[in-house]
Amino acid sequence: MGYRKKNRHVGIVGIGTTKFSSHREEVNQPEMIHEAVRQALDDAGLAIDDIDCVLHGNMELFEMVHQPDLWHTLGSGALGRDALRLTTGGTTGGTLVGAADNLVASGMYDTVMAIGFEKLQEGHTTGGITNMADPLWARKLQSGALTDQAACKLIAEFGEERARRAAMTYRIIMDQHACKNPNSHRAFGLSWDQIDDLMKTSPPLIGDLRLIHMCSQSDGACAIIFAAEKKAKDITNWPVWIRDHITVHREETLNLCNNYYPTATTHRFAAAQLYARNGIADPLAYFDVFEMYDPSAWWGVDWLRDFFLLEGDAHLRLVEERQIAIDGRMPINPSGGVLAANPIGATAMVRVAEAAKQIRGNAGPHQIPKPVRHALASSFGGTMWTVLFMLEKELNWQGV
Amino acid sequence: MTAKADSFIVDGKLALPYQYFAGRTGSRFLIQLRDQKKIQGLRCQTCDKVFVPPRSTCVSCGAKIADHWVEVKNTGTITGHTVIRYEEPHQPVKPPYILALIKLDGADTPLAHIVKGIPLTKVRTGQRVQAVFAKKTTSSILDIDHFRPLEEKPKIELGYSYEALEVGMSASFTKTISETDVYLFAGISGDFNPMHLNEEFAKLTPFGTRIAHGALPQSLIAPVLGMKLPGLGTVIPEITVRFRKPTYFGDTITAIGEVAEKIDARKWVRMELRWLNQKGELVAEGSCLAIPPVPLG
Repeated sequence: MGYRKKNRHVGIVGIGTTKFSSHREEVNQPEMIHEAVRQALDDAGLAIDDIDCVLHGNMELFEMVHQPDLWHTLGSGALGRDALRLTTGGTTGGTLVGAADNLVASGMYDTVMAIGFEKLQEGHTTGGITNMADPLWARKLQSGALTDQAACKLIAEFGEERARRAAMTYRIIMDQHACKNPNSHRAFGLSWDQIDDLMKTSPPLIGDLRLIHMCSQSDGACAIIFAAEKKAKDITNWPVWIRDHITVHREETLNLCNNYYPTATTHRFAAAQLYARNGIADPLAYFDVFEMYDPSAWWGVDWLRDFFLLEGDAHLRLVEERQIAIDGRMPINPSGGVLAANPIGATAMVRVAEAAKQIRGNAGPHQIPKPVRHALASSFGGTMWTVLFMLEKELNWQGV
Repeated sequence: MTAKADSFIVDGKLALPYQYFAGRTGSRFLIQLRDQKKIQGLRCQTCDKVFVPPRSTCVSCGAKIADHWVEVKNTGTITGHTVIRYEEPHQPVKPPYILALIKLDGADTPLAHIVKGIPLTKVRTGQRVQAVFAKKTTSSILDIDHFRPLEEKPKIELGYSYEALEVGMSASFTKTISETDVYLFAGISGDFNPMHLNEEFAKLTPFGTRIAHGALPQSLIAPVLGMKLPGLGTVIPEITVRFRKPTYFGDTITAIGEVAEKIDARKWVRMELRWLNQKGELVAEGSCLAIPPVPLG
């Protein structure tokens, strides 16, 4: 690994997120982005002229706009400023945060604003995703983003009844969180007595992946402002520090020429690397909250094992004992997670934004009822991408 | 798949349907255009700029301006242009057509639209144009069907001014001289000399047949001087001609004028004149003084 310690500390100093919704007809793309930008600037007490560089990201083909950053300058404030556009699929929001972290840590810029957005109602997601696959070997066979691979895996290992119940338990906990979050796109008010019904009656999508398990397509934007340590302390009384981040991807997953599926997931690999270099021996003990990019309830359950480096059925028990609820031992997605809202280019950034707000203590109605000092936030992208962040309240961090 | 010797080519076509949410601001612009035939912009009071198409935040300072609607005129000035020559299914009119950036009167930013009524090669920056509203609404920017040249008072055209003329500039006019021309010229001048009109008489002359009046081919220099070079508005105070060869019926005569000298003291030019027939023979030569057009009124 070419990992080096950071040149200087980077703090999150401003956060803006729009309300997420199935469609936002009343605003066009730059106008919707501007809502998040304005909120982030106001949150930091900054003017647009205080920003040195603007990062912009989304899934380009999803709205059928080429080079969207160019005309989004009307809302992003990038006019006359250094700017970059980044696209890495579902991880885009995480890649934006990672890039901002690198740009500020390197000393290149003191203040960077990253903007992730999507208006999925305007486009055709499956059309865009299909275009990603190799034209000769896979494109005509591609089916879009849905898969029941995690369901098959969990059922094979733990049996139908236990696996299905765990996935639906996870789903209901996420819905309960979403109901507390005023920005949620989907918050149904599911109750525990519905669990058996939902396991049978929710429309099946693929195999054991049912509609209720799956995330939505949402419209929305997120903006985060990052500043170098000295500046961050001048700007705000509650900077949230990015302790470290790691990016791992294996894009050969979709390149069927190699004809094998990775045995170690990028999530587990990323987590192991990140914790090792930061001296975190027991992540479940260390972190106070985890905002996970969980595209479906099945993946959410399965990936708990990878991110916390668990063995056996430890991850299942976390779910079954409802330890992942907002008042549990390891709260997962107090925001409701991706199942509550999925504006793809913003989704991964919202994980970081929500984790940072939990540390600041101003997450709103879904604030965790205990002090939050260490937060974990993940990103996921379709070709097995992982971006994983460690956020801290204080700069005096050490291992555990 | 198509096969090309030993290499396959995968043929594909992706359909990527999409919608675009115009938003309240963009929609209000279209509603005003559709229902009132009025073009509106949004004004930033801080920057004193009016944006057409409307922008809900100021592009310069970022201020919220979505409530500051102002009406702009449906006339404007072309600030940039191109000619679309390739054909695409989405185009509203068949190419070739002019696509221009038009800054409407009262706006500070230009709007892209189609311009009709100007030859493709004559469109220029600074041209004044006027919106032509569509007869049938589509609730889109095509409720303005196109822009056309703004009707202005007809200009009086003039030829080359003294300053614009350069030594060596030339122009010509060519015409075939017919029997009718000669007979009409006899009537105009009163010169019914039988050598022009009576073939039997003319057989006895050194020319052996009828010839045109000398002043008839000579007069062909008038359209050159008066309409081409220097052109409309020119006055000819002096002209001298030496006739070299007769003009027979059916001859095609080319009258040529060429600027030979610029006379700065008077702002006149001296021009060399030549008349050639279809064989390239010199029919006549001479010179004239020309007073090039000066602005009228």
